[in-house]
Amino acid sequence: MKIGILCSRLRVEEKLLFEALRRRGADYERIDVRHLAFDLAGNGLSGYDVVLIRCLSHSRALYSAKVLSSHGVRTVNSYEVIATCGDKLITTLALIRNGVPTLRTMVAFTPESALEAIEKIGYPVVLKPLHGSWGRLLAKINDRDAAEAILEHKHTLGSYEHSIFYIQEYIEKPGRDIRSFVVGDETVASIYRNSSHWITNTARGGKASNCPITPEIDRLSRAAAEAVGGGVVAVDILEAPDGRLLVSEVNHTPEFRNSIAPTGVDIPAKLIDYVLEVTAMESGR
Amino acid sequence: MRFERIDVRQVIFAPNGVQPRDYDVVFIRCLSHSRALYAARMLQEQGVRTVNPYEVIATCGDKALATLAFIEHGVPTPRTVIAFDKESALSAIEEMGYPVVLKPLVGSWGRLMAKLNDRQAAEAILEHKQALDGSRHTPFYIQDYIRKPGRDIRTLVVGDKTVYAICRNSSHWITNTARGGIASNHPVTPEIDSLSRAAARAVGGGIVAVDILEAPDGRLLVSEVNHTPEFHGAFEVTKIDIAGRMVEYILKGLERTRGG
Repeated sequence: MKIGILCSRLRVEEKLLFEALRRRGADYERIDVRHLAFDLAGNGLSGYDVVLIRCLSHSRALYSAKVLSSHGVRTVNSYEVIATCGDKLITTLALIRNGVPTLRTMVAFTPESALEAIEKIGYPVVLKPLHGSWGRLLAKINDRDAAEAILEHKHTLGSYEHSIFYIQEYIEKPGRDIRSFVVGDETVASIYRNSSHWITNTARGGKASNCPITPEIDRLSRAAAEAVGGGVVAVDILEAPDGRLLVSEVNHTPEFRNSIAPTGVDIPAKLIDYVLEVTAMESGR
Repeated sequence: MRFERIDVRQVIFAPNGVQPRDYDVVFIRCLSHSRALYAARMLQEQGVRTVNPYEVIATCGDKALATLAFIEHGVPTPRTVIAFDKESALSAIEEMGYPVVLKPLVGSWGRLMAKLNDRQAAEAILEHKQALDGSRHTPFYIQDYIRKPGRDIRTLVVGDKTVYAICRNSSHWITNTARGGIASNHPVTPEIDSLSRAAARAVGGGIVAVDILEAPDGRLLVSEVNHTPEFHGAFEVTKIDIAGRMVEYILKGLERTRGG
């Protein structure tokens, strides 16, 4: 059985994953997505039982998973999971369809109707790009002046998809949010991300600390993972002032370097064990 | 039958709000692919049928997904390579041999199609695409250039019927009528008919326009399928009541839904 790890630039995460693979004596190969050209009618990478997708770029992850699966190669995560998690609107729809509590969200296609939607929800609201991570281009809007300015900038300067306005109620969270890691059907670790800024991503300066996996967090995290199609995902959870937990996003290629020490959980090992399990299933077919 | 025009520019979708099923079917005719795509998805989630369905819009609107669908369904199409970086794209191009065509994954009316005849052109275009793409790393979609006879063929499939075929004549290699191609009527030969219907089935059916290229060796190749076809030019040369055919198809689907 042979495993491919599809990546571009190596982060700490990928190096930890290679180490976990070596410790288990797994037969694996690093594939640099930047060197790949797939003949769509060919069978480019059919020598692998499973390919773990670890590209930084969502587009590269998405299309390589699609081409690999059309060539009969199983990917972790699957194309469907990447497509759903990589698009905040499709994620929200999947969460709602599966009854996973999430934020009130509205979608509009022009600055004018977006402004109307914003005022319906009431300030503050958050505008998010459909694609993107690390907290980039998230805009908290507290009043109409800010709304008008941001909408015009997105519409005028952005590519076409910045004019699909995704508008969410702002949750007054207690200076932190929760991120939990789901591998298969297990919530393996959970952290608080503390920040004085409303954007709590650790890439933006949020500090990670251990968050006990309560039964509620466990249930919610697994439900969110299942809603987007399972696999290996990170679930972002907000604590509302009234105590409810709301899922805001699910990430398909989670970074986890800052979560290992505070939780004491060997996340890369958990991830690789899952990949090996899937690989054993695939090569046993 | 009651119908209403919905201006997508004025609609606010509230996916978590309970919305009454106001419409039995919504015919999607937005110009913008992303508006069509997300509107169809949100309507379907609320139980409203759309023509075309979300899946058809998603497949046709993305050339990589469309090509994979053709290949999976055995529909002949030009040789296509996807590359993820400008160096690997350049090697793929050199391996395929010039000329090749670079196409944006999403886009229509022939916009941003680039015919590359030599390495210098390839290097320049690849660098521009990568530099101007921001941080998206959109893959490169590279296709064999088919030396077509100064025209291509476009057909319209509605349900499982090929309604018409036209050819688009142009001295430019981009034959879109939006780019100056001149439309004329073309017979729906049995081969064109079966190819068009196969291409429509491959992307999921509905109402679609199929672009067909005639290769020098006589083969017909499907290059693209369009999910929101424009047809005013075709109406002028075929005299077929195209809008009428579309509406009949939608009404027939409505009867089926109600009957079931």
